[in-house]
Amino acid sequence: VLADRLQFAFTIMFHYLFPIGTMGLAPFIAWYNYRALKTGEQRYGQAARFWTKIFAVNFAIGVVTGIPMEFQFGTNWAAFSAKAGSVVGPPLMMEGVYAFFLESVFLGILLYGRERVSPPLYLFSAVTVWLGSWLSGFFVVATNAWMQHPVGYVIAHDGRIQLQSLAAVLLSPYAWWQFSHVIVAAVLTGSFIVAGIGAYYLLAKRDVGFGREFVRTGVVVALVASVLVVFPTGDRNSADVTVYQPIKLAAMEGLFESQHGAPLAIIGMPDVTHRTLIDPIFVPDILSFLAYGNFRANVDGLNSYATELWPPVALTYYAYHVMVGLGTIFGGVAAIAAFLLWRRRLFTTPLALWALMLVMPFPYIANEAGWVTTEVGRQPWIVYGLMKTQTAISPNVVSGETVFTLIGFIGLYFLLGVLFVLLTLREIAIGPSEHPSVGVVPPSELAAER
Amino acid sequence: MTSIIAFALIAAMLSAYTLLDGYDLGAAAGTPLIAKTRAERSAIVESIGPFWSGNEVWLVAAAGTLFALFPQAYAVSFSGFYLPFIVVLWLLMFRGISIELRAHLPSEMWMDFWDFAFTASSVLLALLFGVTLGNLVHGLPLDANGYFLGTFASLLNPYSVIVGILAVVALTQHGLAYVADHVEGPLGERALRSVVSVWWLVLAAYVVVTAATVAEHRGDLAGAPLGTVASAVALASLVAVRRFAQRGHSHSTFWASIVFLAGLLVAATATMYPYLLRPYPGETGGLTIFDAAPPALSLAIVLVVALVGVAAVVLYSLFVRRRMSGKVSVAEEAAT
Repeated sequence: VLADRLQFAFTIMFHYLFPIGTMGLAPFIAWYNYRALKTGEQRYGQAARFWTKIFAVNFAIGVVTGIPMEFQFGTNWAAFSAKAGSVVGPPLMMEGVYAFFLESVFLGILLYGRERVSPPLYLFSAVTVWLGSWLSGFFVVATNAWMQHPVGYVIAHDGRIQLQSLAAVLLSPYAWWQFSHVIVAAVLTGSFIVAGIGAYYLLAKRDVGFGREFVRTGVVVALVASVLVVFPTGDRNSADVTVYQPIKLAAMEGLFESQHGAPLAIIGMPDVTHRTLIDPIFVPDILSFLAYGNFRANVDGLNSYATELWPPVALTYYAYHVMVGLGTIFGGVAAIAAFLLWRRRLFTTPLALWALMLVMPFPYIANEAGWVTTEVGRQPWIVYGLMKTQTAISPNVVSGETVFTLIGFIGLYFLLGVLFVLLTLREIAIGPSEHPSVGVVPPSELAAER
Repeated sequence: MTSIIAFALIAAMLSAYTLLDGYDLGAAAGTPLIAKTRAERSAIVESIGPFWSGNEVWLVAAAGTLFALFPQAYAVSFSGFYLPFIVVLWLLMFRGISIELRAHLPSEMWMDFWDFAFTASSVLLALLFGVTLGNLVHGLPLDANGYFLGTFASLLNPYSVIVGILAVVALTQHGLAYVADHVEGPLGERALRSVVSVWWLVLAAYVVVTAATVAEHRGDLAGAPLGTVASAVALASLVAVRRFAQRGHSHSTFWASIVFLAGLLVAATATMYPYLLRPYPGETGGLTIFDAAPPALSLAIVLVVALVGVAAVVLYSLFVRRRMSGKVSVAEEAAT
């Protein structure tokens, strides 16, 4: 089980880095293509092509690392797939049929079709790729949300979990709030990438026109997204966890004792053996207010539950606090940058541009920390309240095989990571204005470069 | 009835994958036979560039559809084929990045490396897909729940290996026909001539596999009449492939190759029916489409959702292909 969990955690966390990029950048590509068509100005077309190239590298690695996810349910988690497959299968099938196809087929136009199709169809393709990437995210999150909070099912006489209502699974409010949070977080990441690379061009004193455009657009979107990620989407996710997964809430907050007027721990280190927080800084009553809207409400602590139902407390706690802490910092950076932009001083304040550039990797960390919170926090359940992770693995695959394939995945993904960084840095170095082609270099240019 | 439609849908999606991504794999496998320069290799990659990712989605979508419609079969087959499937995943990764990343650095060593990875991973993929299909048609050692009992080595039985070889040569022919139809100039003409050379290997593999299948399964096939007809159609199309290629009709050659592969796939599906996982020859058990299906009502709803989605995919894929049609040409400076 350990090797299977490590393998799934490793492959999904690595994979997820790339959909964040595609879901976050797709709206910017559609926007710049729209501006290009509307104004006819060449620079918007160049901006669109630049982000399409960055997108393409993200997409390529996202695709090749995404296919193992679709297979692993069967290869590593056969008992889970056999028991719950009639519920989790359909949304994953819809991800392939309704979203992944849309994104892949129209990305072909976006990458290769600029000279072959009309400008309106080209814009349509950009919008469709955007739609496809978000739909893809929706179906995957809907699958996950069902595992967090199962709805629309019946237990058959042989113990299998059978689909009763596909609509209930897809329209579950739990899924929609989780999806909104994920999407806003991806857009936040995308906007910080756009602003950060713009800031780099301004600081490096090259492609300055593009630098300004990217910083301006990126900062405005980042400001909006950094508000939405907290309220309403983050708040609603917490509310759902409070109602449906109180043990996860207690672990996230490091709350051991049940109490009325529970305090919010800003920092502190959970000590699971002694069931206490070490060196905490508390804000009294706030946790009760955040969870129930009432400063005196009772919040159940971990001590109210049997320890075999506890998730790994420290990991859940730290992941959650990292996510919230970083989210607060993003809000601050976006607010300061937006203020300077409004006062027309942002482009001449190197300190702020440096901050925008260096903040770029941190939204990725916050996204991953969010997933660790939600996935580790629901342990020991694979389907909350219905099936334990312990019982979900393939009965006919031995752990030696899983260890071997885990090592293989680590090696391959290391290679992919190096290639991704190398190629993205190269596209940034080439810049938006210099290279006329998109995605791939046509053979004629390759010949010229030889 | 819903079970039969569901089975046909999954077979059709896997066939679409074979026909479409099959030419990507085959073009890669055929590259060393026909491309003399780096620019010619680039032209072959460029001819599949806009489409390969959409083609590969057929495999992902078929796996998802199998998961949704026959979860039991998905669980036991994917865990049973654990190592081969993980190796398939790794090879698909190499194939994908070799297409997408080769043109990103203007370095000859970089491109040569990815061109090699492109061909090697594609040949191995064709072989592994063929071996997997061979095992599904041949039958597997299964326990009472349908879980696979054999070893990795037992998957490499003689029957499955010859199906694997048929897959490699037939897809190579298919890919060469695609290149002939989609690349202009001497490279396209060379591809068409290579179809004629590879053809004999395809014919030989076809004859051996057909004879072995009849020998193994004589008398125990529910779908024998359909299989026989499909197999005959495949043979007729194979003859047509050669004639069209000799006369220089690249477009007709490619279409004849599509019908040939489709005939083989229908024959294979008919041989499997009504099993999703056929038991070892002479043994009982196995997993039929009727055992593996969830209750009829939920199956019907999910099936309708899948059918509507697939129909939409077919329509907009055809639209995009029409808009993106046109032949790729080899860069002139480098061709000399």
